[in-house]
Amino acid sequence: MAIEASWKPAKTDKSERLFQLTCVLLYSERGLTKRELFHAVDSYREVSSDEDDVALNKKFERDKSDLREMGIQVSNPDPKSEPDDIRYTISADTFAWPEDVKFDRRQLQLLNLAAQVWAQASLSSDANRGLVRLRGLGIEPGASDLAGFAPRLRTHEPSFLPLSQAVEERIEVSFDYRKPDGEVSRRSVQPWILRNVDGQWLLVCWDKSQNSVRNFLLKRIVSKVAFRSEQISETEKTVINFTAPTSEDVAAALADLTRHTESQVATIRVKKDTPAWFHFQLDSQDPTADISISYMDGHLLAEQLSEYASDLTVISPPELSRIIRARFEAVASAHA
Amino acid sequence: MPKLKGFNGEDRYNFLLALVGYLGHRGEVSLAEVSEHFNLDEGYVVKALTSLNEATATVGGFEEWPFYVDLDLLDEGVISLTTAEVIDDVPRLSTRQAAAISSGLSYLATIPEFAGSTEIPALIRMIAAGSSRGGGEIISIAPGSVEAGAETIRSAILENRIISCEYINRKGEKSVREIEPLRLDVQAGVWYLRGYCPINKGVRNFLIEHMRSIEILPRTISPEASEVGEIEDATYSAEVTDTTVTIEVAPEAYRLISDFQTVTEPKDLGSGTIRAEIKVGHLPNIGRLIAKYGGAARVISPPEAREFVKAYALQALGEASTLETPEVE
Repeated sequence: MAIEASWKPAKTDKSERLFQLTCVLLYSERGLTKRELFHAVDSYREVSSDEDDVALNKKFERDKSDLREMGIQVSNPDPKSEPDDIRYTISADTFAWPEDVKFDRRQLQLLNLAAQVWAQASLSSDANRGLVRLRGLGIEPGASDLAGFAPRLRTHEPSFLPLSQAVEERIEVSFDYRKPDGEVSRRSVQPWILRNVDGQWLLVCWDKSQNSVRNFLLKRIVSKVAFRSEQISETEKTVINFTAPTSEDVAAALADLTRHTESQVATIRVKKDTPAWFHFQLDSQDPTADISISYMDGHLLAEQLSEYASDLTVISPPELSRIIRARFEAVASAHA
Repeated sequence: MPKLKGFNGEDRYNFLLALVGYLGHRGEVSLAEVSEHFNLDEGYVVKALTSLNEATATVGGFEEWPFYVDLDLLDEGVISLTTAEVIDDVPRLSTRQAAAISSGLSYLATIPEFAGSTEIPALIRMIAAGSSRGGGEIISIAPGSVEAGAETIRSAILENRIISCEYINRKGEKSVREIEPLRLDVQAGVWYLRGYCPINKGVRNFLIEHMRSIEILPRTISPEASEVGEIEDATYSAEVTDTTVTIEVAPEAYRLISDFQTVTEPKDLGSGTIRAEIKVGHLPNIGRLIAKYGGAARVISPPEAREFVKAYALQALGEASTLETPEVE
């Protein structure tokens, strides 16, 4: 096979630079100073003549943070050194997999399916990159008895990606949140975890103004998610990090949410052989059947039930009927 | 699946690292096999190898060449990476990669197929151990609901067999039909069967909750059905007879836009409102689709579509309407 002459990626493609930076760092056992790095990596060397140190430093910091996001930990073993003497290395365990982590063909096949769950949703590129690494371990996925099966997670909310990053990096965020009654308020929170309940995404977090754990539905976030930051010098700002919650704190918050859902129960009367009847998988000879549904949020349940408006009647609570009614009134007036 | 022609930036960097690790594990291997394994075009793999071959690192005043790929062998379609001094394995997963895959696994665990299986929790532990940095979970998934019938359909798909079932349409009318099942989709707790319909001669979506008395027939699926390639994830696929409807949605109803194939690029009108054109097959359905969002979604045009939505809402409110009951399939 002939090798194409134009094999080089676009000059703007940072993969070459990141790859070279990685190799250089791995070569040097005792680490390299910035000065040495700027000389060793082609595209750093090329810019150093017409750009000043500030720009070069910025570039290096950005690359370092790109590498960190990709799981390549650049560290300086001796943080007490003078800035010019700081030596950078890549932690030895970055390329070493734990002994007991060995995947077989069936497992790789499951991991494939798990990565595809994100197809076209927010984390698809991270899932695919992870899969490329797992394939690099050399295992061939098993013959597919998982074909014909396509479970998918969906993310319709633009806030999903910034929030997942904020959870990962423990960064405080703020956003505008619209309650179902239309009231919008600015919230400043420490995001703990993103939770998917029946297809709805929730942010479980510490609300700083309420001084308590709060759950926010991502679909009700109506502004961009802002990373909160503080001024550290005249020219520089830094994001506000917070201390990670303990896993017990997170587990307790999730348990609270489940308890809250279980404690709210609606009773619905469903007409026989209607779409709602089939949706709730009812089976009875009577002309109607009463069902109990526990729900997390009245407006979300109202949204779900609205699809079957003529097939059912809300027996209790009265609040739910009121919500459903108000929602249909809003629809009617928006289309008057 | 068509092979990828390549990628840039982080994806390319990630692939270069994985490729070096893979070649370390595999030793000498054919170009065709690598291309198959990573589902990448052969030409792209060659480009990546050339990139490795050309990589240099100037350390301590000496120019080092970390990798050497035998180009003569490569011409014969064989890959041999004879030195790989600095990288001897694939890097561990980044925190986000691990989070994406393990939340995918958690999602699988909520599906009856895998519920109660011990292999998923074991894999989640392995993924956590194989990630570069510990740390808490980023994403967690609550268990979903079980759909009866899904298991039968799954077996039919694996055996390439046709199924028959009683299908109930939205008006409550029952009919017995044959479906050539291709793929089971689960989205937000709703189970769909993507199947070839011999009557309509095309792929259709069937709500599994509307199927009763599902039986696997002793016949295998038709050549037409087995020739169906990749199935789009979108559950609504546009047809030429569809009506274009212009809608405006607030964040609470963004889901409408991703559920439909939009005709033109959705337009941000500011303060969170997005305007989009969607294709609707059976226009009276628009009432039910829009009304569930309680005012967060609004039809702008055509006027008939607005009427259907208004009529659906008024009917739900028990008020007299000038239109007949919306017809739904």
